[in-house]
Amino acid sequence: MNALGIIFSDMQDWNMTELASHRSVAAIPFGGRYRLVDFTLSNMVNSGIDKMCIITKSNYRSLMEHVGSGKDWDLSRKKGGILIFPPYALGENHGLFQGRLDALKRVLDYISSSKEKYVIMSDCDMLYNINYKDVIRYHEEKNSDITAVYTTANLNRSNSIHKILYEFDSSKRADDILVYPITSGVHNVGLNTWVMNKDFLESIIYDAIARNYKDFSIDVLAKKVHSLRIYGYEYTGYFAHIDSLQSYYDNSLGLLNMENQQRLFYSQTGPIYTKTKDSAPTKYCRDANVKNSLLASGCIIEGAVENSIIFRGVTIGKNAVVKNSIIMQHGVIEEGARLDSIITDTYARVTRDRVLLGYSNCPFFIKKYSVI
Amino acid sequence: MKSAKKECVVMLLAGGQGSRLGALTKKLAKPSVPYGGKYRIIDFPLSNCVNSGLDTIGVLTQYQPLILNSYIGDGKSWDLDRMNGGIQILPPYQRVGDSEWYSGTANAIYQNMDFIDQYNPEYVLVLSGDHIYKMDYSLMIKFHKEKSADCTISVIDVPVREASRFGILSSDDEGRITDFEEKPKKPRSTKASMGIYVFNWNKLKEYLKIDNKNPKSTRDFGKDVIPLMLSAGEKMYSYEFKGYWKDVGTIDSLWQANMDLLGNSGLDLSGDWVIYSRHTERPPQYISSNSSVKNSIVSEGAVILGSVENSVIFSGVKIEENVVVKDSVIMADVQIRENSVINYSIIDESVIIEANLKVGTPIDKNPDITVIPRESIVRTGGVK
Repeated sequence: MNALGIIFSDMQDWNMTELASHRSVAAIPFGGRYRLVDFTLSNMVNSGIDKMCIITKSNYRSLMEHVGSGKDWDLSRKKGGILIFPPYALGENHGLFQGRLDALKRVLDYISSSKEKYVIMSDCDMLYNINYKDVIRYHEEKNSDITAVYTTANLNRSNSIHKILYEFDSSKRADDILVYPITSGVHNVGLNTWVMNKDFLESIIYDAIARNYKDFSIDVLAKKVHSLRIYGYEYTGYFAHIDSLQSYYDNSLGLLNMENQQRLFYSQTGPIYTKTKDSAPTKYCRDANVKNSLLASGCIIEGAVENSIIFRGVTIGKNAVVKNSIIMQHGVIEEGARLDSIITDTYARVTRDRVLLGYSNCPFFIKKYSVI
Repeated sequence: MKSAKKECVVMLLAGGQGSRLGALTKKLAKPSVPYGGKYRIIDFPLSNCVNSGLDTIGVLTQYQPLILNSYIGDGKSWDLDRMNGGIQILPPYQRVGDSEWYSGTANAIYQNMDFIDQYNPEYVLVLSGDHIYKMDYSLMIKFHKEKSADCTISVIDVPVREASRFGILSSDDEGRITDFEEKPKKPRSTKASMGIYVFNWNKLKEYLKIDNKNPKSTRDFGKDVIPLMLSAGEKMYSYEFKGYWKDVGTIDSLWQANMDLLGNSGLDLSGDWVIYSRHTERPPQYISSNSSVKNSIVSEGAVILGSVENSVIFSGVKIEENVVVKDSVIMADVQIRENSVINYSIIDESVIIEANLKVGTPIDKNPDITVIPRESIVRTGGVK
């Protein structure tokens, strides 16, 4: 397809201190066998986009390791394919970028030298399943400068603060845009996904360089809502915004609902691709007792698991009980240990007979490599 | 195109029909028969090669190669998409004034001498694509070098009562082979050939040419080439392998090899000796609130709403509510609709079993294994 993908790995990571302390938001494990970036990459690939880049901010090692050459997404190509941009200093722009426009300034050469007509920009903290072809068709029809993908959602004061909200006139043209407001009720919530003509994006970046603009949502969307033709494309499928540990926990366990699985994993758009690991199938022993859970491959289950998400290569020992919990890759829950409402990061070990309790609105987080 | 020299080239015999597997090999060659939840049999020799540091492999195909060819693709699933070497499929082909099918295992190599010669190797490792085992071939090649052998044959100890099903070797204290009999009525030892041979390439070439001129030869390694080399007094050694090794040539042995993955006695698929395979992208497996999974292995993308015991469940299988699956092998993308009961069966890929049916007989009644061929639909009144 005639479009270039630009993916931001960490545009909004303020509130993700636990999960993103040593990795980029894009590399946060999700749904048993994925990383958040897989959903964005798969949307792009399933829409026929075969040239894209990921703009990273910091702690990008695990993301680099995960994406590699891109071959698991069919993105290891002679023409196009995927590029990862680590933080990039340019002239006076030392240090980390400050905002989306600042980040785009630093990859201007890549954008300018691309031949594609359209650009699709997307973050990694919003999970949804979309065919960008439809968005681009809509973008053409509306003759927009910027087409913003949005969905309607019921917000509360604690989760509205990480979102961009749109108000549209009857033709779906934006007439007001609120950036990170504190509000509640049903709103048009931006999915932080925008389609633009590539030439238009370049003109915005040049303008930003001249005026020292740094923030796309404030300096372009909000300030120019009346002078630019910004249109909304409504998305109505599965949607999750991972903007805090609590939303990570809720949306993870939300996948135990078979309808949500259907909408996220088995949509018409295509499968969710991820890095292939070649683990053996999961082994359930004689005394295993697993209920209402999602499990990846390579696990050995001897104990009880209920309402939980179990990632690749996890071992659950005899008489261990894991409830309402998320056990990331290579976690070991030893014999007789009991966990309720716990998130263990990768390679954590809960030793014999330990008891760990969180609560559904206060899940307890265990760091990578911890031994309890 | 000039290829870089390789010390050892692997020739993997994958043309076998596997007729004793009945309906399971009607549409595909034996090496592509699914096994162990997410693998095909050929994944084992291929992964063994890659893990042993062997990266130049010719796969000899003949019978029903479509699924095998598309499965192997460019070999990237086994890390065999290489600039130099890698994996290449070698079907029989036509030459000036001559074209023939592979008439035997040795003939398949004979017809592909040019393929091997382009790498100018010292050794050729000949493998068959129908066994389940984990083996480090580099140790066998090392043994072959230490003995300055012309040919080394890998052997495994089998029970006396089964010995007459195999090629049986006798050897002296040093391991030098003194006698070889193909499927003997009265075996003189219990050392069975595993169909894994290391040859010095120049020596093998010589004997392939001699054998090809013999009109009485069946062009088979076990029946013709090995006895010929032995009678000529070449230095032939047996290399003892200890570990799990299973010939999955029959329905019963295929079922048993799958069951060997349950419990702790048989083959362990986890660990550092990774068995690679090609698979389509699937979400994690989902086990519902009302289901029960005991002593089984389950692969990605399976959705289990019923009960599963002593079974191997492949990728993308859907087991609906109140279904009971026992002592069975359920291959990829099978759907078993509600209230059906499956006992002691092998259900091949993409079968649909409608609701309220009984398939198979419980294992304690000592019946034959029920096999449902791929892509069929089982309804009241029969299989379609």
